[in-house]
Amino acid sequence: MAATTKVALGVVGCGAITEMYYVPTVRELERAGYVTVTAIFDPSTERVAKIGAQLIGAKQFTDFSEFVKSAPQLAIVASPAKFHAEQTIKLLESGASVLCEKPFASNVAEAEQMLAAATHTKRKLAVGLFRRFFPACNLIREYVAAETLGKVIDFEFSEGGMFDWPAQSGSFFQKKTAQGGVFLDLGAHLLDLMLWWFGDPSSVEYSDDAMGGLEINSVARFEFANGLRGRVQLSRDWELPNKYVIRCERGWLAWKVGEANRVEIGARRSSHTILGETLEDRSSAANYAESFVAQLLNCIEATSADVKLVVPGEEGIRSLRLIEKCYQRRKLLPMPWLTEAEMARARQLAV
Amino acid sequence: MSTIAIIGAAGFVGTRLVEVFCLGGGAQARPVVRQFKSLARLSRFQLDCRMADARNEAALTNAFEGCDAVVNAAVGDPRMIEGIIEPVWKACVAARVRRLVYLSSGSVHGQAPTQGTDEMTPLSDQQWYWYNNAKVRAEWKLEQLRKTRDVESVVLRPTIVFGPRSRWVWDAAKEIANGRACLLEGGKGICNTIYVDNLVNAIQLAIDKPSAAGKTFLVGDEESVTWRDFYAPICQHLKAAEPASVPAREMTAIREFSLVEKMRGISGMQKVLPLIPGSLKRAVKGALSGWSEQETLPWRLRQAGSIELSSEMNALQQCQWRLPYKRAAEELGYRAPVSFEEGMRRSVAWLDFAGFSLAR
Repeated sequence: MAATTKVALGVVGCGAITEMYYVPTVRELERAGYVTVTAIFDPSTERVAKIGAQLIGAKQFTDFSEFVKSAPQLAIVASPAKFHAEQTIKLLESGASVLCEKPFASNVAEAEQMLAAATHTKRKLAVGLFRRFFPACNLIREYVAAETLGKVIDFEFSEGGMFDWPAQSGSFFQKKTAQGGVFLDLGAHLLDLMLWWFGDPSSVEYSDDAMGGLEINSVARFEFANGLRGRVQLSRDWELPNKYVIRCERGWLAWKVGEANRVEIGARRSSHTILGETLEDRSSAANYAESFVAQLLNCIEATSADVKLVVPGEEGIRSLRLIEKCYQRRKLLPMPWLTEAEMARARQLAV
Repeated sequence: MSTIAIIGAAGFVGTRLVEVFCLGGGAQARPVVRQFKSLARLSRFQLDCRMADARNEAALTNAFEGCDAVVNAAVGDPRMIEGIIEPVWKACVAARVRRLVYLSSGSVHGQAPTQGTDEMTPLSDQQWYWYNNAKVRAEWKLEQLRKTRDVESVVLRPTIVFGPRSRWVWDAAKEIANGRACLLEGGKGICNTIYVDNLVNAIQLAIDKPSAAGKTFLVGDEESVTWRDFYAPICQHLKAAEPASVPAREMTAIREFSLVEKMRGISGMQKVLPLIPGSLKRAVKGALSGWSEQETLPWRLRQAGSIELSSEMNALQQCQWRLPYKRAAEELGYRAPVSFEEGMRRSVAWLDFAGFSLAR
């Protein structure tokens, strides 16, 4: 059912994420009467015009201060991560609630400033970790918590492939503009689910292949107070299985990255696997695209009514804290094809 | 220190070339890529990367400014392979680049070259595989441009380039793991391998050696390798049995760059795929493949499907001639610094690095 008052929505950043995901999401919620897109911002005239052509009626801004003055009630911040803190804080202080894309911020200190601003201004601050709306991820959480297949023994998550995101700038790949590589980018999603399902690990080991630049391969190992162990591998370099496998006492669960409503379930002494598809109901999104819509709807309802955010900033900062902790313990990944001399030089560059 | 521009720097050979320059010194790498997303693989190092479409002479000229040499290691569809030769050449002239090294392929002689084939053997662009024809036409275009002598140029013809990030290694491992690998008549055909570091060595010689200008060289590993030799270390690493032996088939022409490959190449396709329902994806894939699967009745005995070689592999494994690198040895001073055995050891070690053994 559509809201009685439409929320005035602003969009910050007209890059690939906005073009591919937010534009169709916003148009659907506009059609359903929940929002009116009042303003969009991007420093590039070309990009703002391109998105503006799809969000008819939205005022186009290339000056962020002018965009803020247009007073949106809710803003989606989908700019490069290094701008998240500054833009989010300005928007919160102007009275807007914010849905900030992941990674939440460049670092924990910035994220804490964003949270403080949200508390101070009493505005809502959500993080774009939309996988939490996937029925499959919710099902896994319930199975793990209820120990449906027994206690979890270990897990192995892998995600990534040759980088294929239609990036509109090189900012993703420069150390001065992106504070991390694949571990910050994909890791924000992966670690958020890990923390949501299992809680905070008690110890971490981390290695990657950055040699003066940004990592494109990374491996992390985690241990938890209850004895649970897990291994995480991420890549922008080569196609990984893109599968999260959780082994339990009596069976296992597996989730293919991106499959919003499908989970594989296996029993320990059976050679058969069940590929389960969650059934649609009114309370949850049915698929990938609907999860994106559900995320924004949650933010709209939290802005206009007393509805709790599914992924508030306090949750979003958790994965960022863990990423930062991992980076602090960083070691160089052994690259077995390098000669000894090359590996020695790689170690020098990696410092 | 000289600066070397690398077109196709995010590809398999380009990635290793950049790595060698960054970790070994000697020259400064300047990757030249067409799309922002290609910067990902290069971002491990602090590099002076440049954006330029390899068909855009003006953009390339800017990108080559101050470079001593250019290595053209670009891959792509036939239009790309042939279409970039002239703009790259002209940009080299405009930017006063001393030398251009073009990575062609031993495939210009076909997947199974006849006995006695060497650099002097005439080429044909009427072969059964589009890739061979595109590479032949690209070489012919370069040959025409070479007559102007505006830029020194060297053409290298490697064949089965393997190593970390090589599709030959990954695909073989995948087939072996899936029980789908097979060898033509036990794999006795010649596999004209070159470990990627050996190719990088040849590229460095081609950049530096004054007498190499204007010449074309076949390059390969030191050892004579069969397809059985190529698969054996991968099987051993995966603790798998030797692949089944199959008979040779007639060659089936691969005239066109397939539509599926074109679709895969569309920017952002991998990110859009999750939005498409699985049933639709399967239907589209089936339609694009020409509905090759025959309709079967439900009353059938479930058994493993027959194993057969792809058209390309069927042709490659019929090879009975080891392409010689005598000319490269004599005129470039080329020697393969890494043995086939060591190259394979590094390649299978990379399989583990790349997550081959992870749960799938």
